This record gives sequence, structure tokens and C-alpha cells, in this order.
Amino acid sequence: MSRCYLAWAKDERIREKGADGGFVTATLVSALETGFIDIALVVAKKSVYEGIPVLTSNPEVVKECAGSLHGAPINLTKYVVEYAAEKRIGLPTKPCDARGIIEQAKRRQVNLDNIFMIGLNCGGTLHPLRMREMAADFYGLDPDSVVKEEIKEGKIFLVSKEAGGKEKETAIKIDELEQKGYGRRDACKSCVTKIPTSSDLACGNWGVPKGEEKKTFVEVLTAKGEAILKNAIDSGYVCIEEAPGEGIEMRRKIEAGMQKLAESWKERIDEVNALSRSGRFDFYVDALKNCIHCGACKEVCPVCACEKEAKCLDMNDERDSYAISMYNVLRIFHLMDSCIHCGQCEDVCPVDIPLTLIQRRFSERMQRHLGYTPGMSVDEKPPLYETELRWNAESMMK
Amino acid sequence: MAEEEWEPKILAFCCNWCSYAGADAAGMERRQVPPTIRVIRVMCSGRIDPAFVLMGLLEGADAVLVTGCHIGDCHYVNANNKTRNRYEFLKEFVDELGLEPDRLWLRWISASEGALFADMVREVTEKIKKIGPSPLRRDWKK
Ligand SMILES: Cc1cc2nc3c(=O)[nH]c(=O)nc-3n(C[C@H](O)[C@H](O)[C@H](O)COP(=O)(O)OP(=O)(O)OC[C@H]3O[C@@H](n4cnc5c(N)ncnc54)[C@H](O)[C@@H]3O)c2cc1C
Ligand code: FES
Repeated sequence: MSRCYLAWAKDERIREKGADGGFVTATLVSALETGFIDIALVVAKKSVYEGIPVLTSNPEVVKECAGSLHGAPINLTKYVVEYAAEKRIGLPTKPCDARGIIEQAKRRQVNLDNIFMIGLNCGGTLHPLRMREMAADFYGLDPDSVVKEEIKEGKIFLVSKEAGGKEKETAIKIDELEQKGYGRRDACKSCVTKIPTSSDLACGNWGVPKGEEKKTFVEVLTAKGEAILKNAIDSGYVCIEEAPGEGIEMRRKIEAGMQKLAESWKERIDEVNALSRSGRFDFYVDALKNCIHCGACKEVCPVCACEKEAKCLDMNDERDSYAISMYNVLRIFHLMDSCIHCGQCEDVCPVDIPLTLIQRRFSERMQRHLGYTPGMSVDEKPPLYETELRWNAESMMK
Repeated sequence: MAEEEWEPKILAFCCNWCSYAGADAAGMERRQVPPTIRVIRVMCSGRIDPAFVLMGLLEGADAVLVTGCHIGDCHYVNANNKTRNRYEFLKEFVDELGLEPDRLWLRWISASEGALFADMVREVTEKIKKIGPSPLRRDWKK
């Protein structure tokens, strides 16, 4: 099915405002105007440090939300489940959004036939608070004066408004920032799903030839993706051309490079790896003892579909005073096959438990063992629900 | 004060139709079974929610045994296949948490295998005596 195009919005304003060719926005606008979808979910910019999800049927609102926000590490999955499970909806999906939605579909919370996932390639997001610190400490800027941010050519660009109303652009290499503990979130640094292959379309700037800026590279992944693209072209909102071979090759190469980098980050940020068995035990007990059982990590988790009647809540009684609470033990256990490593849990944790690392350590080894990657195909049931073992032949041999 | 010899506490889940009857058989045949074991009877090993095992460990059991009918003999079609699947998850969990792998066991024991039951308890007790008390153990008397 896979076909690659360069695409852009016909409407010059959309194209101008869009992160690349404004293709994503134009496609959603056309789908709304032609009644192809009932509703769209987009992200509105409050500031460079804050993006809020907006559910709307108004094409004008969608146009307002064009552009990429790297300081808004939200996951859109739960908004779809909560507010639009019955609607025909279109939305931009980073790889972790798409994977979350697929996991919810496996748990019968949403019907994928009604969801049009316009995937966005994703190199990663920044945590808003760390981004403010970064602006002050490394860029020497007043964080509130920053009006625009962009990530390109391996650098993070911050544009600030100076006293006289002039705009100033400062860029620092991502590598340099990340060596010092800033830059992208840990979950993003170590994420290997850079192209949302479980969406209907995958859009990004990788593969757009130099000099052809203001175009979006689009890969069509499913029949649904083809349908919404056709709708956008037929209604006159979008222009496309065949993607050049070297563009496709370039995109593949960049993806492979990013994946390699992610693998190396995994090692670098894993402080538990060097510990002995009992050291590991002490680390987990120590890290999780701070938990105040607010339930926020469960609330935002794009995989969890248990709502209020959840075993991790039911079986938890703080009066037990276990070394690690049932809540944490069960959340980790239940996610071993299904965690997509999006890091939402850590973002909302009020006591800063390193949940990204903990969840990844438990789930990654299990998933490797199972030969299973969650969030990729709705036809693959979570292995914990299965009757029979699902073993990865390779890991059996070891 | 003279040090009392430390006795492991081992929690065993037994299914009503096979392994519990196996434990019974061990008694009927007057076999010596170490007194380290506490048995919880369930109707089928498929009833053993991994949460029960995890809670047993958190309560301080030095080892938890999951037992049931042999594969193919489960009295509820194939529920012990599910047990086997869940056990693999528990095994990974226990290992990653930093507990010794020997703190978790899976054994299939039929109603007539009293000897096997007694041997298992002996084997587990010996292993646990070697590795010592669980770091999760909570002894209130000091
Ligand atoms: C955090 C992030 C990182 C990215 N990294 C890469 C990369 O490394 N390589 C690459 O090729 N492409 C990357 N992209 C995709 C790229 O920036 C463009 O979004 C894509 O090319 C589509 O461009 P467009 O002009 O067609 O989209 P637009 O018409 O500008 O539409 C973009 C849509 O995305 C929504 N959106 C903005 N921020 C977010 C967010 N944080 N989460 C979810 N939705 C959001 C907007 O509301 C809008 O609807 C990234 C996008 C994001 C959001
Ligand atoms: S009845 Fe014994 S395992 Fe199911």
C-alpha cells in the first residue's frame, strides 16, 4: 500500500502557517468541510511551552492550530476515548498517539474504522519546564520572551521578542543540550518509533529535498489514509506530486540514524543497568516509596482502559504498607506487554518518580521475549490476554 | 540470645482437582513434608490471578508456588495454559524486580503424585534456606 508523495496546502495562508506544507491542516479542513469527518482533534498553541488539545468541527479553529509544538508533550489518545469514541474523527498523531489509539482499539474502547490518523514523524518533544530552564540557562533568554521554537538540522531554534519588538533567533545543537541533561524528554530520546507506521498517513519533513521547503512528505499507509488524501485532493485543498527517489532514501537514512541514536540513549540514561540484583531491588523500592497514590499516571496512560474499576486501585490499600504498593506493582505488571514508552506517566507524576525508566525496564525485556511490539497492529492481541504462550523463537534459544 | 533457626515461609496455590489432591495424597501416604508450606486452595490454577502471587511476595512469603493439573488435564478446558502464560510474565517481573528467580515456582502435580508434591516442597525449602529470607519479608518481632 505504501506510496510516498510531496504534498502542500493550496491555500497560501495554511501553507505559510503550517510546520511544513500545511498538508495536515489542509487535509483536516477539507475533511471537515466535505463532511468526510464529523470532528477534528488538534493542538492549540497557548505559548511555546503549552499546547492544549482542541476538539472542534470548525475549520477555522483547525487552521489556527497549524504548526508543530515541540514543547507540548501531550498524548491525544485519552481525548479520543473520552470525548469522541462515537464520532468520525480526524487527528494528527505522533507515533505514540497512534500507538495509544491502537492499544485502545484492542481493548475495544474505540472503533478504528471511525478514526483517521494523520501521522506525524516525531523526533521528540521537550518537557515545558525543562525547556524554560533551558531558555534561561543556555540561551540566556527570558523564558517568557520566547515566541517561537523550531527543531531543524540537529539544532533547537528559539525566537525571542526583544525590547524594541525585534525578533532574535538563537540556535544550539541538540546534542550539546542533551549532553547536559536538557533537550528532549527521556522517553523521546530513547524512542525508536520515529515514523508513525501504525497511522493511516505518515507526514514529516524528512525526505523533502533541499530548496523545496514548504512541502510535506506524505506516506500513505492504509486504505483509510488513501481515502482521506483523495478527499483532500478532489475537494481542491491539497496538491501532491510523486516523492523523488532520493527523498525516500534520505528519509529512510535519517530514520535509521535517529533509531541508532535512540538505542544509544537507552543505555546512557539507564542507571539501573549497572546495578546488581539487590541493587536493582533497592532502586525500585526507593524510587517507588515516594508514591502518593494520586492515580495521575493511570489517568493519562494511553494504554490503560480500566477506568475506575481497576485492579490496581481495588487491590491497593496503603495501610498494607508494603515495600512497593500493589498499585505500582500491578501497574508495572499489567503494562509489561503493552507499555509504549511514551513517558506520560513521568510527566504528570507530582513526586518525580522516574517512571519512564522503570516502566521501560520491565516492559522492554518482556516485549523482546515475546517478540511483540504494542501499538502496531490492531490484529495482535496483548499477549497477557492470550491462552497460549507467544514466544519469540530467538529469545527461546538464549 | 540463641539464634533460632530461621524457617522459610512458602506460599503454595493448589488447584482443587489435581495439586491439592496431590498434597492430600502426600499426607495419606504418610510422607514427610516440611512444615514451611502454607497452602491456598483454588478451584483451578487459572483462578490464580498474578496479583495474588505478587501480593503473596509483598506480604513477605519467601517463595510462592503456582501448581495445577498437568497441561491437557485441566478440569476447565485449557485454563492452565493461561496459568503457564501468566507465569512467564511473573518470572520476568520477579527477576527484574531484583528477587531471586527461585522465589517463584510453577509445577504440575496430579492427584496421585503425592511423592512429587512432597519432593517439591523439600526442594523449594532447601533452595530458599540457601538464598535466605526474602528482602520483602516483614517480621514484626525483632
Ligand atoms: C513534536 C513534533 C516533532 C516532530 N519531529 C519531526 C521530525 O523529527 N521529523 C519529521 O520529518 N517531522 C517531524 N514532525 C512533523 C512535522 O513537524 C510536521 O508536523 C509535519 O511535517 C506536517 O507538516 P504540515 O505543515 O503538513 O502540518 P501542519 O499543517 O502544520 O499541522 C500540524 C498539526 O499537528 C498538530 N500538532 C502540533 N503539535 C503537536 C503535538 N505536540 N502533538 C500532536 N499534534 C500536534 C497541530 O495542531 C496541527 O494540526 C514533528 C512534529 C511534532 C509535533
Ligand atoms: S483444574 Fe487444575 S489447573 Fe485447571
